[in-house]
Amino acid sequence: MSETKRPATLRVFRYEAADSTLRPIIGDAVLPLSRDELVKLARDAMAQRTFVVHAVPGSGQADELCFIPSDDRCEILSIHSNGWHRHYGDHRRSLMQILNDLAAAVACSRLRLLDDHELRLELDRARPTLSFAITDSATLAEARTRLGDALELLGIEGARREETVLCASEAATNALVHGGGGGTVSLIPFDDRVRVVVADSGPGLNFLNWLEAPAKRAQASMGYGYKIILDHIDRVCLHTGTSGTTLILDQLI
Amino acid sequence: MLHTTVDKEPEPTVHLQGEMDLDCAETLRWAVGDAAVGAQEVVLDFAGVRFIDSSGTGIFVRLCLDMQQRGIRLHVRNLTPAVAQVFDMLRVRELVGEEVFAG
Repeated sequence: MSETKRPATLRVFRYEAADSTLRPIIGDAVLPLSRDELVKLARDAMAQRTFVVHAVPGSGQADELCFIPSDDRCEILSIHSNGWHRHYGDHRRSLMQILNDLAAAVACSRLRLLDDHELRLELDRARPTLSFAITDSATLAEARTRLGDALELLGIEGARREETVLCASEAATNALVHGGGGGTVSLIPFDDRVRVVVADSGPGLNFLNWLEAPAKRAQASMGYGYKIILDHIDRVCLHTGTSGTTLILDQLI
Repeated sequence: MLHTTVDKEPEPTVHLQGEMDLDCAETLRWAVGDAAVGAQEVVLDFAGVRFIDSSGTGIFVRLCLDMQQRGIRLHVRNLTPAVAQVFDMLRVRELVGEEVFAG
């Protein structure tokens, strides 16, 4: 689907105060406002230490800008809508709701959006003790079983274990359906947490594909998988681009 | 993988066993379609379901809504804790109607 025909999309930019740089983290580099305006709004949010939402109205379109400051930087989520807010009125979630939930998760520090360098740093911290290739629903089911067993051995039991397996399965399902047909699920134990990394080499998340399942699995997507992950994993990191998507799920012990 | 068995008596019932994920649609639809022949109500017994995710839930919700449009009422029984938690999380009762869970 071409960019101009998408009903809505998300771009993420990062303003770093130290060197006053503004660069894209997710999506293309088309700025929703001029660079000077974005930098001013980012600095204002950082000065106020407050999550600021800024609406940019247009003719039949709208950009919702979320400025999410931290100590030395400000994440800018640009939610661009072509006047489309709900998904055909059925039971699936509205894309705008998904994007707003993502912004809220970043603001609450439950979701961290990674650039290429940050992803490499995270992945270089430790080697996985288990890794599964996911190529179909059978390998996904096998990975769930083995991941559950491994978590139990690491002392994660009961509902916490089931939630972690469920979230890993949601991420792996996304890799199967939208990530080029498969991916890998890896387990990395740390002293204070377990990490599950789900990676694919697909075309990258455009977030619309969380609602638009491929035709052969048209019933499979509710757009809720991400919400389950954000609600049940202590810390989530997301990197996505044209060379693939990686979700890092950290569950504290 | 999801396995199903169908009992016609005393009431049309589909017993579900295994895991409900992105590939359970065909199995579930076939079994419910079989149970629904000549019936206006079908029971789905979840006692054997040990895992469900948002994809499996979406398939169940779509099936419920499709059956309701055809005048066939689905009723759910014996939800396991794992299924009940995901259904609560995804507000399935609001999507398909409280009556699906009654009785």
